[in-house]
Amino acid sequence: MKLLKVSPSPHIRSSVSTASVMRDVIIALSPALIWAVYIFGFRALTVTLISVLSCVGAEYAFCAATKRKHSIKDLSAVVTGIILAFNLPVSVPLWLPMVGGVFAIVIVKMLFGGIGKNFLNPALAARVFLFLSFPAYMSGSFVKPAHKLSAFAISTSLDGVSSATPLTLIHESVSDNMLVDMFYGNIGGCLGEVSKLCLLLGLVYLLVRKVITWHIPFAYLSVFFLISFAFPMGEDEAIRYALSALLSGGVVLGAVFMATDYSTSPLTATGKLIFGALCGALTVFFRYFSNYPEGASFAILIMNCFVYYIDRITQPVKFGGGKNAGK
Amino acid sequence: MAYTFLGGIHLDERKNTAAMAAELYTDPKQVAIPMQQHIGAPCKPLVSVGDTVTVGQCIGENNNALCCSVHASVSGTVISLEERRGITGAPITHVVIENDFNYTPCPDMQGIQTPLESLSPEEIIERVRAAGIVGMGGATFPAYAKIQSALGKVKHLIINCAECEPYITANHRLMLEEPEAVLKGIKILIHTLGVRRAVIAVEDNKPDVIELLEKKIDDKALISVKVLKTKYPQGDERQIIYALYGKEIPTGKLPADVGCVLFNPETVACIYRALSTGMPVVNKRVTVDGDAIKKPRNLIVPIGTSFADVAEACGGTRKKLARLISGGPMMGQAQWSLDYCVTKGTGALLFLSDMKEEIGQCIRCGKCVRACQMHLMPALLAAYSEKEKYEECEKLGALSCVECGCCTYVCPGKVPIVQYIRNAKGAINEHRRRVGEKGGK
Repeated sequence: MKLLKVSPSPHIRSSVSTASVMRDVIIALSPALIWAVYIFGFRALTVTLISVLSCVGAEYAFCAATKRKHSIKDLSAVVTGIILAFNLPVSVPLWLPMVGGVFAIVIVKMLFGGIGKNFLNPALAARVFLFLSFPAYMSGSFVKPAHKLSAFAISTSLDGVSSATPLTLIHESVSDNMLVDMFYGNIGGCLGEVSKLCLLLGLVYLLVRKVITWHIPFAYLSVFFLISFAFPMGEDEAIRYALSALLSGGVVLGAVFMATDYSTSPLTATGKLIFGALCGALTVFFRYFSNYPEGASFAILIMNCFVYYIDRITQPVKFGGGKNAGK
Repeated sequence: MAYTFLGGIHLDERKNTAAMAAELYTDPKQVAIPMQQHIGAPCKPLVSVGDTVTVGQCIGENNNALCCSVHASVSGTVISLEERRGITGAPITHVVIENDFNYTPCPDMQGIQTPLESLSPEEIIERVRAAGIVGMGGATFPAYAKIQSALGKVKHLIINCAECEPYITANHRLMLEEPEAVLKGIKILIHTLGVRRAVIAVEDNKPDVIELLEKKIDDKALISVKVLKTKYPQGDERQIIYALYGKEIPTGKLPADVGCVLFNPETVACIYRALSTGMPVVNKRVTVDGDAIKKPRNLIVPIGTSFADVAEACGGTRKKLARLISGGPMMGQAQWSLDYCVTKGTGALLFLSDMKEEIGQCIRCGKCVRACQMHLMPALLAAYSEKEKYEECEKLGALSCVECGCCTYVCPGKVPIVQYIRNAKGAINEHRRRVGEKGGK
């Protein structure tokens, strides 16, 4: 008698897998990457590739060293690598993304149990680690837009082409043209954060493919915008200041790709709204009061630490367990 | 606007057999009829080896408990009474009948000639009990007991024709082929329960059923059709009641506690048949489908027909057959061999190829939280259950889980979430039972 396979229900599964989700994120990140290559030259691609390879390599090596089945096929290390590169200036020495990638994967992700278990966003934690350890490379110089660098340009030869990022210019008034430039990405800054247009294309793709929900980006950006609008800095009119604040630095990159990281954001819709709103408020806070130009990284990392509590307090009322049940 | 609920998932419907009329299958050489095909106590066999039986003859009953009689589905000779493992794996006595292919009807069967209004609810309930009618949607709760418990308590009678599981079209075909039987059965139930009207709830993927019903219903004030959005698990009784009336059944309560009672259309048709002709439940409508069966189709199968015979009637199985599911792919039960037989609860038989199952890791995407119809947090329940922290599971409402399987279906990390929750439920109930025993001493 032929025995059939017996397994508990359900007997069918969705075709969506961790790898397919991560593939969608990579697709969503690609417009910004293409823009970075266009505006900063092929060195942007080199930095990204090195970052990705060191992340994937670190994960593979860690799994081999701890005798686990390797998990690189789920593509999450690739995503971490791209996002880490997006947070670096294009002029960084090429060993920097290697150090960052190993830190992100080994210290922040794998030591806590791998995908889904880490409590900090690996790429962001690595970024802050690099930022605090090598400040000169991380924020000293930003390459002027449209100054294309060849794929293997050495970082020390870049001194002559640096420009200030708009974040350090924030107290000066901005013209309409500058706002438009900031929107489509004709400004200096970290590799992947410059073009808000490309990042928003990525956001639309993620929403359409149902990889993320609207809650975190919406809450983050709207709270950030409203507070900036209510308390403008400098001489500009409020709306102009708020727009330039929104379009400069890594806020949009953070709100779309980093605050929405699955492992380090809340599970429930209400939780996501609270998380996003507090990220937005903290980002403004850091921009106003801290010595560092970039607030989004610190804001998201701090909120990462509260995810467990946000999940607890936003636990949904179970069906049939509420006050109105039975009425 | 179609009615719907919060949560749930959109599935690939795979209603391949929706356009295929159900055909009566009459070729089983023998049938093995289980003495228990319902929730409750098993029947005691009334026949012994060598007896001649006729179609519709009662061959098992138990009048002292929650129980539904069992009847011969073919005419012929009883060749053995044997213990076999049932659909859930528990041992059950089976009456094996050799078919004489005459299908001689039982002479005792008699329809009711007097008008329905002259019958008291008690008489109708007794008839429903004697006809062995259970919840034919797969729940197999005795229909007479459901009517009894609903008497005087309910305001809303709902006919659940959502049929939200993929593949299954048995009810769809029933509504198209026997709308009169269903509508007349509904009138009997309205009369018995003393309710003012009934609602037929149909998912919007069956426009032909909706159209036909609108034509056939003569008294629209008495019976109305409500259209539900196509979404799994819309057929869950809680979610139908919520979709139609916005009422949540409180945890641990039944539909009757919010004034509702639900029946599957096949159950209703059986009630009508039992009263009008006296014919008890002897056949079951079964959708046969899946990628490992040659000719998917709808069949009306004598109860007790083996799965192997059903497969034979559908052109045979393909080589890649690895799994056989009795019921839908989301909540059905996997069978280990083709030897077992169709019972009153078999709505579908799915012959499927193997599924690559790779257990992965939760990535906290939150898809399960959005999919949960009971508004639980399946990802956390699974994580706590994996670590055997069942008290945490209890606090997170594990016992409210109805095991619809949505969380496991959507999980990109391929975590068997619902199985972890089942483990937790088992452990919590076991713990409660022990504490209860201690408290009793």
